[in-house]
Amino acid sequence: MPPIVVKPPTLQALWRSLPSFGGARRYLAGGTDLVAGANAAPAGVKARPKGGSFDRTEVWVDISGLKELRGIKETKTSLMIGAGAKIAELEASPLVRRWLPVLSAAIPHFASPSLRNMATIGGNAANASPCADAVCALCAEKAQVLLEFKGKRRKLALPALFKGPKKTVLRKDELIVAFEVPKWKHSGAYLKLGPRSYFGISKAAVAAALEMDGEKVRSVCIALASVAPVPLLAVKTANYLCGRMLNEENARTAAALVKTEVSPITDVRSEAGYRREMCGVLLERALNSIASGVSGIN
Amino acid sequence: MKKESIRLEAVNGVFRISLTVNGVKKNFAVKNNEFLLNALRRYGYKGAKKGCDTGDCGSCTVIFNGKPALACLIPAFTAHGAEITTIEGVGTVRNPHPLQEAFVEAGAVQCGFCIPGMILSSKHLLDVNPSPSEDDIKKYLDGNLCRCTGYVKQIQAVKMAAKKIKKA
Ligand SMILES: Cc1cc2nc3c(=O)[nH]c(=O)nc-3n(C[C@H](O)[C@H](O)[C@H](O)COP(=O)(O)OP(=O)(O)OC[C@H]3O[C@@H](n4cnc5c(N)ncnc54)[C@H](O)[C@@H]3O)c2cc1C
Ligand code: FES
Ligand code: FES
Repeated sequence: MPPIVVKPPTLQALWRSLPSFGGARRYLAGGTDLVAGANAAPAGVKARPKGGSFDRTEVWVDISGLKELRGIKETKTSLMIGAGAKIAELEASPLVRRWLPVLSAAIPHFASPSLRNMATIGGNAANASPCADAVCALCAEKAQVLLEFKGKRRKLALPALFKGPKKTVLRKDELIVAFEVPKWKHSGAYLKLGPRSYFGISKAAVAAALEMDGEKVRSVCIALASVAPVPLLAVKTANYLCGRMLNEENARTAAALVKTEVSPITDVRSEAGYRREMCGVLLERALNSIASGVSGIN
Repeated sequence: MKKESIRLEAVNGVFRISLTVNGVKKNFAVKNNEFLLNALRRYGYKGAKKGCDTGDCGSCTVIFNGKPALACLIPAFTAHGAEITTIEGVGTVRNPHPLQEAFVEAGAVQCGFCIPGMILSSKHLLDVNPSPSEDDIKKYLDGNLCRCTGYVKQIQAVKMAAKKIKKA
């Protein structure tokens, strides 16, 4: 880990002091991804010395004090979730429970209660793991992400943040400040398949958000985790469902279609063919559970 | 309120930090590659256990600024200014916390390695939810692994402790 740590209280202080930090620098939020990498080593490999994988001259910028990154606010049309919000804060938020059924369904599957006290939603996105649960759920919620560098802001659709595993379009020193999530009257489901029912990284996960217009689907967004290099939007499958009845037959067709959209790999956690098959199974279950009114907003 | 950035610089690889442990102000010298779990154990708080060092087992759980957190994943320097409760701050042999009594009475302790983490997680659960359901307890202790007991007695113990605390 680094020889110098700086903890700015405001964005202004951060941008003001940035030039004085010298060469390499890195943001530290909850640290759960950043330092877990330093501790863990694959079986059979000698563990790296702690913190040894980091550049010794690096400055760490602890962003947990930035007040602009905190909290969850409601506007007329959306929720603004600060990048520094802990997963446990989202779990406890009545606004999240009221408006974001997919995210609410995903949180119990996110690590363990004590980890949810540490991990931030911004870190979950910036880390750019295709397995990230909260990010996958937010993609289905149609979230946008707000980025800032020295007072200049830009806004992207959340899936556009990701370029590949552990790769984002974030520019040097650019910071994720918030997520803007639209309020719409939808139901949602998040189904995650892992080595055990709770606490584990997924083999595959499906997030589905769906708004009905009478008997028919008015709007739908489907995101998948752990089955592509990035959190994936299943656009073809969503297009198929749009305007159709939400019944078992259409759910089955959607399940078959989603398997053609994913590109899973075989790795330590699972096998590509199994993952692809499970995307279909999970989506069908998700759609049927939404159809039977298990969860949703009225 | 000061608006300037806090800056910590390691001298010869060592950060000097101030923190509050179990209500007592402390100054620690921590290495720049050291985690809070190691630092606490070095300063005598050996109740926090090292099970996995990767955030998976919960045996290193401490209360960090009011919430259970995993000391094995917290870079020690980020504890500058923090308030920490370890199992040493929860009860003593002569004066145990109701949770500690209940764990003993229920027979929820075998080797004991997971127990400090279990107690601290349970304590926070009861602080925020004095009458948890069995399901609440199971979900809340999800990150605290035990290799001995099979969890049944521990869930019973938390229920017993909830009753004791309400009576007191
Ligand atoms: C045991 C264990 C279990 C886990 N289980 C799950 C799980 O079930 N599901 C899941 O999705 N994840 C899981 N994770 C991963 C991790 O907890 C999450 O990805 C977490 O949300 C990361 O957030 P953080 O605040 O800890 O990020 P940090 O570790 O602080 O940062 C991660 C990366 O993002 C950068 N960064 C952080 N914030 C910003 C920002 N605002 N702007 C720009 N860059 C930023 C940092 O520089 C760093 O590169 C698990 C981790 C562990 C150790
Ligand atoms: S030692 Fe920290 S979670 Fe296992
Ligand atoms: S009592 Fe032995 S690990 Fe829990």
